[in-house]
Amino acid sequence: MLSRYLLKSKLCWRAFRAEEQALKTYYHGQQSLLDLDVERVPMLAIDLEMTGLDAQFDQILSIGIVPIEEGRLILSKAEHKLVKIEGSVGQSATIHGILDHHLNRAVSPEEAMSWFLERCQGQMLVAHHSPLDLAFLQKGLSTHFRQGVTLMAIDTLAIEKRRLMRQHEVLKEGALRLGASRARYGLPVYAAHNALIDAIACGELLLAQISAIGQGERVKLTELLA
Amino acid sequence: MDASELQPITDFIQGLVPFDTLSSSTLDLCCKSLSVGYYSKASAFVPLDETDPQLYIVRSGAFEVRNDDGELLDRLGEGDYFGFPSLLSGEKVSNRVRILEDGLVYHLDPDTFDYLRVESRQFDRFFNRAFAKRLRHQARFKAKELTTTSRVSSLMSNNPLIIDINACVRDAAKKMREARVSSVLVIDNHKLCGILTDRDLRNRVLAEGQDGSLPVHQAMTTQPKVLSSNALVFEAMLLMSEHGIHHLPIVDDERAVGVLTSTDILRGQSSQPLLLIGEIERQNSLDSLISVSKQIPLLLQNLISADARAEEIGRVLTSVTDALTRRLIILNQKLLGEAPMAFCWLAFGSQGRQDQAACSDQDNGLLLAHEPDEAASGYFEALTKAVCSGLDKCGYIYCPGDIMAQNPKWRLSLSQWQNRFASWVNTPEPKALMHASIFFDMRSVFGPASLFDSLQDKVLAETKDNDIFLAGMTNNSLVESPPLGFFKKFVLERDGSEVKGIDLKHKGNALINDIARVYALSAGIKEVNTAKRIRVLMEKDIINRKDALNLADAHEFIAHMRLSNQGYQHTHTMPISNYLQPKHLSSLVRHQLRDAFKVVHDAQSGIKLKFTRSF
Repeated sequence: MLSRYLLKSKLCWRAFRAEEQALKTYYHGQQSLLDLDVERVPMLAIDLEMTGLDAQFDQILSIGIVPIEEGRLILSKAEHKLVKIEGSVGQSATIHGILDHHLNRAVSPEEAMSWFLERCQGQMLVAHHSPLDLAFLQKGLSTHFRQGVTLMAIDTLAIEKRRLMRQHEVLKEGALRLGASRARYGLPVYAAHNALIDAIACGELLLAQISAIGQGERVKLTELLA
Repeated sequence: MDASELQPITDFIQGLVPFDTLSSSTLDLCCKSLSVGYYSKASAFVPLDETDPQLYIVRSGAFEVRNDDGELLDRLGEGDYFGFPSLLSGEKVSNRVRILEDGLVYHLDPDTFDYLRVESRQFDRFFNRAFAKRLRHQARFKAKELTTTSRVSSLMSNNPLIIDINACVRDAAKKMREARVSSVLVIDNHKLCGILTDRDLRNRVLAEGQDGSLPVHQAMTTQPKVLSSNALVFEAMLLMSEHGIHHLPIVDDERAVGVLTSTDILRGQSSQPLLLIGEIERQNSLDSLISVSKQIPLLLQNLISADARAEEIGRVLTSVTDALTRRLIILNQKLLGEAPMAFCWLAFGSQGRQDQAACSDQDNGLLLAHEPDEAASGYFEALTKAVCSGLDKCGYIYCPGDIMAQNPKWRLSLSQWQNRFASWVNTPEPKALMHASIFFDMRSVFGPASLFDSLQDKVLAETKDNDIFLAGMTNNSLVESPPLGFFKKFVLERDGSEVKGIDLKHKGNALINDIARVYALSAGIKEVNTAKRIRVLMEKDIINRKDALNLADAHEFIAHMRLSNQGYQHTHTMPISNYLQPKHLSSLVRHQLRDAFKVVHDAQSGIKLKFTRSF
């Protein structure tokens, strides 16, 4: 109750401060989501691939998104955007399989950012280890709109960590990784990795987590954001 | 987005019949139109929206489909479908889908489904066939609950014996004698008006001092309880037990069409083994016993195809073996004369545990009340040799390890047996214990219970809470482990390049037997049947309820797989073995088998911790 009130007033303040109309709409939209039961909340599971882990120096390579409507991932509305970068893909190519020539159909960071903000209007973002992805997105959006931007997201990693801690399990190294977390819910192993597949994997994990938390009861959005 | 970016999903869908027949562009379009949902066991049923039918493709988890009467139509696992009947028929959803295990499901919308049916004839045909098959399947799952679902007409005797109401009881009795039945229906002007049974003849004619000329209507039971031929057998049983009667006239449109007796019902339930045991007990020579025992493999096949529980099959087959053993002992005693002292015929191993299956060998011994003198020892040598060779000829081959009553090593007096057990218990040498474990699953098949009890009580008193012995037994039972590798994948046994498969006996049930044995000996429990041991352990709170039920289920499931695999081998004239090829299994069954092995693995860790105090 209190946390929802606090969140709402924060969003209200951010909306007031925002100069750009699209940003105002985003903050207001987030505010109205907070009153809904989880299954009613339109969500957007996201995943980013980057050239490194530092939002200050590294760049976004690709963004995968898949909307979740009434508890279902809608693959027909899933999207995968490759983003143009300065310099070469370099080392991270071995991890993501994104090669320079793939980047021919990539869009500029500016285009990517306005596309992304448009997609997340009225949607609650979901990511695995969201602070990292949000840091890159906020940096990108801030540069684009020339003012500070703060996004909000459900973090499936944080949910998993809380659940395991509550069961007094010793957290082994790697136990909170996306694949390891999914395995605990019996979700299938996805061999290939790209931003889109990982966004889908993260969305599925969230559905499994919600069902485990709720055990058939309704779950409040604030329980997931805590 | 391009569909190749959905690689893992496309790969999965492409591997499914009938999606494998689609062209790659159609497949891409199909995958892009999916939506993904997650169903939790906590919500019990999949909410099927009749205004919005979908094809549900199971990606993980387990489900079961029941019709509106609650009858089981199908069990589903990875790669199975539901929801297609209403997509095809356009009728409203009447089946319910129960969630057995949390699962991820892909939904295909009706427009895309129809498009795919137009695009591929095989796709269309597959779902139409599956629809028809599911309707047929309703019969398959019924087999188990014979008495609750089968009709009276399947068990009653047709063309019932009838007699006119004006006949005398003597004529009635003559008719009954000729037809060898215990009742006759009494008819007045083509209508049933009463029934005359053996009991009526006794109580109302003989006991009353009446003679045979008494008219039937004075002795019969008027207005008898009747049922129609399409009533359930279950209802008939209820009616009989409520009114304490054994004969039910079956009447359709006021015409008597048959009679159902309590014996008919009994025969319908488990006729075969009872008949076989009855037959064994009537035989008077070894040759006739051998020919009767030829029916045993057929009995096993029938039990398997009737989908009986593996535990029941084991018990039934073992009671046949027991009956055969007892009959052989009695027949040979007729030749050799009265025994010079009391003795018990002991059954060890699978016969002891009552879980015999196809091609069992003998494991038996003899327990004598006291030390035999020379004459007595000669008597028992002759008796045991005759019985063991009789069993061998009846299909229970000689024990390769020579653990048989005919071996003087296993033909001992009470005190010798007690010493033998004491040596295993008190100096538990690993190798000796390994061979001795089957002796701890012992049961008396023939002989006075008190004699057997004085042996078993002594053994259990020594094993109970005997830490060193129990640790030794536990270590032996941990030599083998369930065939699961990393990522819960099955580990297959190989013989050169040939894949033999999963050894369901030695890496499955034998391990559960070992676990139950260690617990039972630690607590001094007299049961030897594994399922019963687990039940007692649960009742005494030695294993917690959940673990006990899981272990009992795993035991039943693996045993069932082993039997149905042997049934498959038998019908395909392959050599009978304990090896199962996992590729012959549906993904749901594979999943269940994996879970069963997981339970065995956990239970092994449990005894390791409890009895050897290590991890």
